[in-house]
Amino acid sequence: MLLQLNNISKWVHSGGQKVFLLKDINFWVHEGDFITIMGPSGSGKSTLLNVIGMLDDFNEGAYTFLEEPVHQLKEKHRANLYKQYIGFVFQAYHLIDELTVRENLEMPLLYKKQSASERKALVADTLDRFNIVGKKDLFPAQLSGGQQQLVGVARALIASPKLILADEPTGNLNSKQGEEIMEIFKELNSQGVTIIQVTHSEKNAAYGSRIIKLLDGRIE
Amino acid sequence: MYTLYFKIAIRYLLKHKLYSFINILGLAIGIASFILIMVYVNYERSYDQFEGSEQVYRVYMDYLEGDTFVPGDAQTYNLIGPTLKEAFPEVLDYVRFYRLEETTFKIEDRVIEINNSCIADPSYFKIFNQNLLKGDVQTALKEPNSIVLTETVAQHVFGNEDPMGKTITVFRGSPVLVTVTGIMKDIPENTHFKINYLLSYKTMMGWDAISDNNKELNWNNNVYYTYLKLAPNTHMAALQNKVKASDFEDIPDERHNIEPIEDIHLYSNKPYEAEVNGSATRITFLTAIAFIILMLSWLNYINLSTTKSLERAKEIGIRKVAGAQKRQLVFQSLLESIILNMLAIVLAVLTASIVFPLYNSFTGKSMSFELSELANLLPVLGVLLLGMVLAGVYPAILLSSYSPSRALKGKLRTSAGGLHIRKGLIITQFLATIVLLIGTIVVTRQISFMQEQPIGSDLKNVVAIKGEILAKKQDSVLIQDFMTLFQELQKIPAVEQVTVSQTYPGDGYENLSSFMGITYPDGTEEGNKVWYNYEIQPGYFDLMGIEFLTGETFVPRAENYNNEDIIINEKFAREIGIANPKEAVNQKVKFWDREWNILGVIKDYHHFGLKTPIQPMMMRYALTKENLMVKLNANVNTTSGYQEAVAQLQAVWTSVFPESTFNYTFIDKKFQAQYDEDTRFGYAFNVFTALAIFIASLGLFGLTSYTCLQRKKEIGIRKVNGASILKILQLLNIDFVKWVGIAFIIAIPVGWYIMNSWLENFAIKTNISWWIFGLAGIMALGITLLTVSWQSFAAANRNPVEALRDE
Repeated sequence: MLLQLNNISKWVHSGGQKVFLLKDINFWVHEGDFITIMGPSGSGKSTLLNVIGMLDDFNEGAYTFLEEPVHQLKEKHRANLYKQYIGFVFQAYHLIDELTVRENLEMPLLYKKQSASERKALVADTLDRFNIVGKKDLFPAQLSGGQQQLVGVARALIASPKLILADEPTGNLNSKQGEEIMEIFKELNSQGVTIIQVTHSEKNAAYGSRIIKLLDGRIE
Repeated sequence: MYTLYFKIAIRYLLKHKLYSFINILGLAIGIASFILIMVYVNYERSYDQFEGSEQVYRVYMDYLEGDTFVPGDAQTYNLIGPTLKEAFPEVLDYVRFYRLEETTFKIEDRVIEINNSCIADPSYFKIFNQNLLKGDVQTALKEPNSIVLTETVAQHVFGNEDPMGKTITVFRGSPVLVTVTGIMKDIPENTHFKINYLLSYKTMMGWDAISDNNKELNWNNNVYYTYLKLAPNTHMAALQNKVKASDFEDIPDERHNIEPIEDIHLYSNKPYEAEVNGSATRITFLTAIAFIILMLSWLNYINLSTTKSLERAKEIGIRKVAGAQKRQLVFQSLLESIILNMLAIVLAVLTASIVFPLYNSFTGKSMSFELSELANLLPVLGVLLLGMVLAGVYPAILLSSYSPSRALKGKLRTSAGGLHIRKGLIITQFLATIVLLIGTIVVTRQISFMQEQPIGSDLKNVVAIKGEILAKKQDSVLIQDFMTLFQELQKIPAVEQVTVSQTYPGDGYENLSSFMGITYPDGTEEGNKVWYNYEIQPGYFDLMGIEFLTGETFVPRAENYNNEDIIINEKFAREIGIANPKEAVNQKVKFWDREWNILGVIKDYHHFGLKTPIQPMMMRYALTKENLMVKLNANVNTTSGYQEAVAQLQAVWTSVFPESTFNYTFIDKKFQAQYDEDTRFGYAFNVFTALAIFIASLGLFGLTSYTCLQRKKEIGIRKVNGASILKILQLLNIDFVKWVGIAFIIAIPVGWYIMNSWLENFAIKTNISWWIFGLAGIMALGITLLTVSWQSFAAANRNPVEALRDE
């Protein structure tokens, strides 16, 4: 078991009323799973993903990640946990505009306090693996959307996470670029990386092994 | 990792050129202004500081006015030094100076004018910690007819020859032959007591230029500057009380007092000062301006970087997701602050050093701009820079406390608290700006008010001529020569009138006579006040355009007639108990053991300039030969015309006095020169206010450009829904107008209080009328709207489709 969510609820107050973003979510993930979260806009997909990725808090319930009770951890421990095991891929790529491709890739390693030589080797490996060696000195603005997302995926993978969280990874891409990214996910999954993706696309969902449907914050 | 931070910082600054430019420029202007002002302030504070100066005190005199003693004279009797030394053991030593304003050297055939010199006791070197470059400190001023020159004067007089043992004839009315016994280093510029050479005290005994009653020890003539050297750790207040309580001279309405030499330049403004001193108020004001400007640029920086940092929420979000911890984010932000501030400091120091020569000539000082002296400013700058750097940390802490998922959305709005802080900063900025504006208007008005104020006398085209006549002549011959000169001068077509006077308006106290003790016409004996008077010839009033209220000017009678007529001003008449000047004529007053007849009363005129209230003044008739007053024709009004006229005057002067020096002064210029410091202060106030406003505008500009960007979508939506450009402009500008309004309300009492206390320094002052505040407020509002609208107009004018498409 990689992670387990028990009776997770998250709400905000609006006009004196509790509005549930997530309600009573029970959910588990084994290592090697490729899970797709689907649902209409506003159903809580991204929120769920953020909770899993520890980017967001929740109000109620228990979350266990690799036997660690996330809901009881301090922020610093939580950060260490996701730093080590989780990689994120975003719809809007979220690369740092002021950094080159190589520097964007290197960034997560800096925060893991790896030595310069290790970082260099890992960045070189990753550039190679994703076929973007020629782009290493370019800034994000100089790349196409597909290339930027490629860098985004590469950055998520550079620290060899156990789990990849992808929030509409192909949402800003054309179909060909989207397919390429999904192929990469498929290959990663076959190498043992767990993937959870949020998507609207049935086609993308077909890459996964299990689909979770959300409606109004509940699992259907 | 640090290289990466560094790289990001540099790239970020380069990418956002406008933002970086505004930030760095604002900071640099602020810091450069701060440095320049503080160098001046430090220079003004550095006066009269030498090794042991904290033990050196000046003795001065207080006069009883009503029932309180007020500082009355910077000069004292020649007995007070020796007496104090004998009476109080804590007085280790004293030195007396007899000031020689204008003197002329004659060496063989060469004639050189050297001013600012003194007759001094031999103890000078020890008390003022001066060493001799040549000669012996112990003996240099011991013997009569010894002279010690400063290096520069020695070089000027003797060139490269060795001056030691050479002889000089010093003229001041009459000559004395002296021998050079020492060469001392030049006196630093930052002293209130400038000296070009010293004559030994005993020299005056055989010199006709010094009157006999100044030679003998007495309690009659207070014409000496006296400085004391006190024992270390002397209790100053205790000694001061003892000095004040003692009454050596047995005159109840005056007393002696002491003050630290280090305080003289900024805090002393007594009659008969050795030079026009600085002003502590001015220094306080300048310091305040320096800090305000620095603070403005600082607020600017905080404001801009806080606002701007919201834009970087996304970056911070990514970093957090990638595992960055708060500490690391804060550190990065700190580094950027440091880089930005360092760039600003480098730019500021560079600017300051480029401007410095100009600044020196403007202030009329010879300050040095050295990094070592900047070190004095470091503590202050350090604290403020620390503040600025911390300002860079604040937004980072703020942002890193958001959850990364929110930060990643990149659209953070500041919390209400943050908004309040920003509002507060902007209002503070406006407040400072408006107060500075009020200050500028009041200062400018006061200065032009002073310059335009009728002084009761027409100084235009009046030249005062003076010279040292080196030929040895009897007085009667000299007076005959003056008569010839008189007639010859009147033959020059450019000359309208000629007369002679001991002194003139704007000449200060130096050449005035004064006495104490007078009997009023009604028999009242008055012994407390100082009465100023001077000698003139009959044509003086006409030439100077001074009007008579009643009576008339002197009528020259038989030769050698001992004229005991006087002419007084209105103030004098009132002071001696005559309310109606008409009744003053032929009334008698008694002083100097003689009875004097009041011949006429003139309208009050300003003898000392407008910082001093009008004083009672009295003119006596004598064949003085101090200043030849020449009134030039009104049609002489060009530079070349003046030069030509002066050349003609000099030619006539030299034809009558072949062996002499020739000096001339346009007395209107000299009168205005009294306000030089104030004019300069006003000018500096203007410049620094302009800079402060510029800095504040930079900040506003940056802030608006950002607000417009942030509200782009809102503007787009409003426009799509039918808002006019004007409505959008209103929307964008209304906040700034509100803030100016709040600042304005606070600025009124603050500005009024500050400027009112500044005006207290002037005897004649403008009033602070309400429109000054109105004008300052309107100016601030105008500048604000202009700055803001420049941006908001462009934003309001944009095609809304463009704005919405970006979403």
